[in-house]
Amino acid sequence: MVGTGSVVGGTLPLFVARSVERASASERSLAPQPIVRQHAVSFHGSGSEYFRIWIVNLLLTLLTLGLYHPWAKVRRLRYFHTHTQVAGHAFDFHGQPRQMLRGTLLVGLMLGAYSLAGHFSPLAQGVALLLLAGLWPALWRASMQFRLANTSWRGMRFRFTATAPEAYWVMAPAFLALVAVGGAFAAVPDAAPSAAAMALPLLLLGALYFCLPYLWLRLKRYQHGHYAYGQQQTRLKTTVGAAYGVFLRIVGVALLATLGLGGLVVLVLWAFGAGADAGAWQGALMAAAPLLFLLLLVTQTVPRAYATSRLQNLLWSRTGNADLRFRSELGFAPLARLLLKNWLLVMLTLGFYWPWAAVAVARLRLQAVSLRSRDSLDALVAGATAARGDAAGDAAGDALGIDLGL
Amino acid sequence: MSAPSPAGAGSMPGVEAEYFDGQHARPRRVRVQRRGTHLLLHDVSTAADTSTATALRALPLAEVSWPERTRHGARIAHFAQGGELHALDAASWDAFVAAAGVRESLVVRSQQSWRGVAIAALLLVALIGTAWRWGVPATARAALALVPETVDTQLGDAALAQVESRWLSASALPEAQQSALRTEFERALAAARPSGARPHRILFRASRIGPNAFALPGGTIVMTDELVTLVAGDTAAVVGVLAHEYGHVERRHGMRQALQAGLVGVASSLAFGDFSGVLAGLPALLGTLGYSRDMEHEADADAVALMQAAGLSPLAMLRFFEAMATWRKEHGRNDASDSALGIAFSSHPPDAERMARFRSAAERR
Repeated sequence: MVGTGSVVGGTLPLFVARSVERASASERSLAPQPIVRQHAVSFHGSGSEYFRIWIVNLLLTLLTLGLYHPWAKVRRLRYFHTHTQVAGHAFDFHGQPRQMLRGTLLVGLMLGAYSLAGHFSPLAQGVALLLLAGLWPALWRASMQFRLANTSWRGMRFRFTATAPEAYWVMAPAFLALVAVGGAFAAVPDAAPSAAAMALPLLLLGALYFCLPYLWLRLKRYQHGHYAYGQQQTRLKTTVGAAYGVFLRIVGVALLATLGLGGLVVLVLWAFGAGADAGAWQGALMAAAPLLFLLLLVTQTVPRAYATSRLQNLLWSRTGNADLRFRSELGFAPLARLLLKNWLLVMLTLGFYWPWAAVAVARLRLQAVSLRSRDSLDALVAGATAARGDAAGDAAGDALGIDLGL
Repeated sequence: MSAPSPAGAGSMPGVEAEYFDGQHARPRRVRVQRRGTHLLLHDVSTAADTSTATALRALPLAEVSWPERTRHGARIAHFAQGGELHALDAASWDAFVAAAGVRESLVVRSQQSWRGVAIAALLLVALIGTAWRWGVPATARAALALVPETVDTQLGDAALAQVESRWLSASALPEAQQSALRTEFERALAAARPSGARPHRILFRASRIGPNAFALPGGTIVMTDELVTLVAGDTAAVVGVLAHEYGHVERRHGMRQALQAGLVGVASSLAFGDFSGVLAGLPALLGTLGYSRDMEHEADADAVALMQAAGLSPLAMLRFFEAMATWRKEHGRNDASDSALGIAFSSHPPDAERMARFRSAAERR
């Protein structure tokens, strides 16, 4: 929930030195026993300051009917980056708004074409969907490369060393699964399908859900395995079993929350006078609507906080290499409390509390992360400079609202 | 190695900062000075005193991207050719930048002062108010031209299926009565629209929402049995209500409402999309319960025109409104909020203004 993952995700570098090529042998001789140093991640942003940026951004974006969006985004990213510090130095963002504007327009055009195709015929929509799906992995990869190549720490840029064919290879099983499920559902005759006809699609859907942790891990391994800074490159060392464990626990918490919600809803409605006839139910529903909405909010936020904290901890604590390791210790309870407080205040203030909410969540999530290095960070040296990413990719990550957790 | 720098090294104005060359992660302490249109960097990390600092780099001011002033954030200036300057002390950095003649843009200046922000907030509220009241409806009306009518029909059919399953069942009125009412309406419509009318169909249904009528996108007009029995044979009133609903059909009000909801959803996503999809969807939901007053007035005008063209008196509508008011009092329904269907007739009980319009229309002819 941290602003589409713009802050926590790709901007946090994961460094994995695979080889033992050190910058200078002399450093090694001076320190034969490398001391493990712990570096905390700190976030210094303030809600009131971000509010001022946010409100001017919002005004200009609405005035220009959205064309100002890339400038607003650059300003936001620069704010969050320069307020995040590791080992005494802050990050910075270098994206150029004009580039990003082209990207935003391009993605907007693609989405417009897709929805327009939907008005003509289902076939046209299917073709448009296929085209979009075909471009998606390349755009996603370009988006990550753009974001990373424009993020710097101590003057050096990050790199995303993955290639586009790899992206297609990584996303292929997910796409195939979705096509299979979609096709199975589309093949079912429209009018009153029998139980037998629905069995296959539902079975395939169930299989898809079952494979979700594996598909997700596949994506994340691709992402986290290609962040690079200087000579260091990252790797995600987690097993499929661990991913399944986390996902199952998330599902468990979500089920508990839903059951709890169901029970509470019945209780509330009964307390408000719902009886046997339909009229009393409707009356009770109307009267209890605010309370019910509040209940819905709580039971939606709690599983989400659980999922966010556990997934962040899983991903970032398993990322590292022989010399550098990250560690994430985000607690579930503090995050849940914070999210609930944010929701309530945002609603009470008709949205004006949002910048404070975003800053608070960013602080909590970032400060839960720390970095351990076996060597002095000064020893990192830049490798070959990477090519600048195509700005269209960055817009794709944003416009479609898919939080890829960069 | 450390040659004395040229004239001016003795007294070194400027500010100290950390310099990163973009190739190494190790910082170098430098002194930054402005000399004409250039920025000079002198390496002071190894110098015993400032007079022995080496010239490190000179770059045109135009190539420097300056940071914005923030309270706690790092001030990082970056250079087009690569490299960064990190300020060591924010206050002296700000003083140097100001003295060097770097101007902040209007946007940054307004962000820095609470007065600027207050103005921005007021402008924002005004903009949103204007957009809600005029901008979004106007855009929806314009966008309507781009939406083919097949979409209307699809939307209307889907909505009908939902509504029927929840509140409607087969009509209990005799078939003869239904066709008589339909014929009466078609006659009035033919008189008012000699060049032809939009495709539409009139359905009668028994319901749980009392005497009511509504129109769905695509031309489906539904009238409840309770309404027909309420007016007890006053065909003019039935035709009037049907004409009102036909007005909604002809002007595609249902589709316009759907477009408006979509636009509000997009705008709220721009503002709140980062936070959550649910929050972004809420304003759209709130903004679209039922037709707007303007749409109701337009439909009323259509009803009047249609009735007069058919030779029926608009007073029939006033009789109908009174009958409705009596029915509502009898059944304990005092306000519009308990009508479950936003677009239904009963959701917009006539106020004095609407009734006056019908009355004056009757008096004119």
